[in-house]
Amino acid sequence: MNVPRNLAKSSLLASIIFWTIIGSKEFDLDLIPIVMLSYIPIFLCVIIVVVGSICPFYWSAKNDIFTKAQIFKTCFPYYTCIAFGLCCYGIFASDCDLYFSAFCISAYITTNQSWVWFAKEDKITSILTALNNKEND
Amino acid sequence: MKNLIIIIASFLFSILFYDRAIGLNLSIFSLVTIVFLVIYNPDTFKNKTILLQTFAYVLSAIFVFINHSSLAIVSNCTAFFTLVGAVSQSSTSIYVQWFNGIYTSIAGFFHRNFDVNDEAKRVDFKKNIDYLHMAKLIGIPLVFITLFILLYKNGNPIFNDLVSKIDFNFINIQWFLFTILGYYLYSNISKPVQVEPATSIDLKTGNELYQSNDFSEEKLKKEKQLGTTLLGFLNLLLVFYIVTDLLSMSSIKTTVASELSNHVHGGINTLIASIIIAIGIILYFFRGDLNFYTKNKTLKNITFSWIALNIVLIILIAFKNQIYITSFGLTYKRIGVHIYILLTLIGLITTILKVLKIKNLTFLFRRNTQVTFVVLIICSMINWDSHITKYNLTKAKAFDIDYLINLSNRNAIMLNELKEDLTISQENKNRIGTKYRSHMKDLSQRNWQEWNYELIANLDKFDKTKN
Repeated sequence: MNVPRNLAKSSLLASIIFWTIIGSKEFDLDLIPIVMLSYIPIFLCVIIVVVGSICPFYWSAKNDIFTKAQIFKTCFPYYTCIAFGLCCYGIFASDCDLYFSAFCISAYITTNQSWVWFAKEDKITSILTALNNKEND
Repeated sequence: MKNLIIIIASFLFSILFYDRAIGLNLSIFSLVTIVFLVIYNPDTFKNKTILLQTFAYVLSAIFVFINHSSLAIVSNCTAFFTLVGAVSQSSTSIYVQWFNGIYTSIAGFFHRNFDVNDEAKRVDFKKNIDYLHMAKLIGIPLVFITLFILLYKNGNPIFNDLVSKIDFNFINIQWFLFTILGYYLYSNISKPVQVEPATSIDLKTGNELYQSNDFSEEKLKKEKQLGTTLLGFLNLLLVFYIVTDLLSMSSIKTTVASELSNHVHGGINTLIASIIIAIGIILYFFRGDLNFYTKNKTLKNITFSWIALNIVLIILIAFKNQIYITSFGLTYKRIGVHIYILLTLIGLITTILKVLKIKNLTFLFRRNTQVTFVVLIICSMINWDSHITKYNLTKAKAFDIDYLINLSNRNAIMLNELKEDLTISQENKNRIGTKYRSHMKDLSQRNWQEWNYELIANLDKFDKTKN
């Protein structure tokens, strides 16, 4: 499992979504340095969420019989439903506060995409190997 | 072509919901969704189950417009998830359809993004590289151009003035993001997905119970004896309770609200505990081979008599609740008690069917969840606030005006019309007047997307309110 690569991609995705939502309401060019700096706390949040809530599924369940694809198909639907419920609750509880809503939406989309990236690792590796073999032939 | 339909639907989604409250828009959205699902899944709409779910969805959409209540909105959302789940797989239980519907609506894109066959994957993979390249092509220059504009802004006053004059306010990014949300939703439901292995397990699970291989008459005889003794005593106990309950009912003073309240709530607590334990015990004894034991007639009869006694208990509670309603009027809690009683009654009937026709536990879950869904749709068809107000002011022996004023604005017009005939204080009449004016003002300021039946039916009253 390539966790660092996933974390880098996820935190970039989370930053883009978070600041796109905030920028849609209040955008100022002076905010750019804050946007850049915010990558650090966003990265920390992504580490906590991805390593704390997604990786354990792959670490604990992956073996020779149970592939990443099967883990994704079995666990992801429940994970996404719970995450969606929590994010919706958070948004309503915060009375649709812009920053908290942006946080919840970016967290939801990022965690979902992170699941897909982890699950796709096997497939991408096998496709790349197949393409290399074809080129060598 | 099909992508174009999603884009049109997402624009419609934005037009209907962006910065608008719920009203006519949800009803239109429901109809658009049905047309959309028919376009993308024409074959599935020949199935009777799906046609029935579509009918329920249309019905709930109509009653969102007519009643405009939270319950109608909840039932419309439930009907939406049921329909999407049914399109994904129509033969599953309704609770699996809900799960499939919710999963499709919220994460169908991610599921499909992953779940493609390898051949398609190879093509998609190349496409992904192109997308990535395109994103780089747009994103990286954008970031650096912004960065350098910021740097140059401070170095040259003319450049700074020119940059400050650029105004992007004509672009509503929020509206654009909302349209993307619509695109995401419609893209998700265009090809409904299934939760596995929940769907396949549900499809494999029938409603019938089968005799096991280790069928032992001696073991079953002992179990039957235990069941007969236990249920026999419970029958006697319940008969005794019902007799004492009937005696206590004759002494209820219908003029004392607290006494009636204690009777109803005490009875409901007994009912909840009794029914849960009753169904639990019945399910335990009739979980397996005892259903196929030839000498189980006595146990079955005792079980049926216990269920019948529980039904008597239900009727008694319903009667007490009705006395409460007649004396002190309708409230949401009292209506809730009646609905709970109805659901409990249906639960007991399905338990009788389970024992009588030798069905399994899944049968009970399936039937009961179906009934719950139907009850939800039926309940959403009723304008409860209006019924409560009308009943309390015209039929009940006593009413609580504070309760009626604090209900939602859907009873404001009726309260205002009846206020002069009521023997209430001037202060309460003023409160009703304020509630009415505020409601009419709210109605008059609504956009077409937020319209409902109440607004159209009272159009003539707006001018009077303004005057």
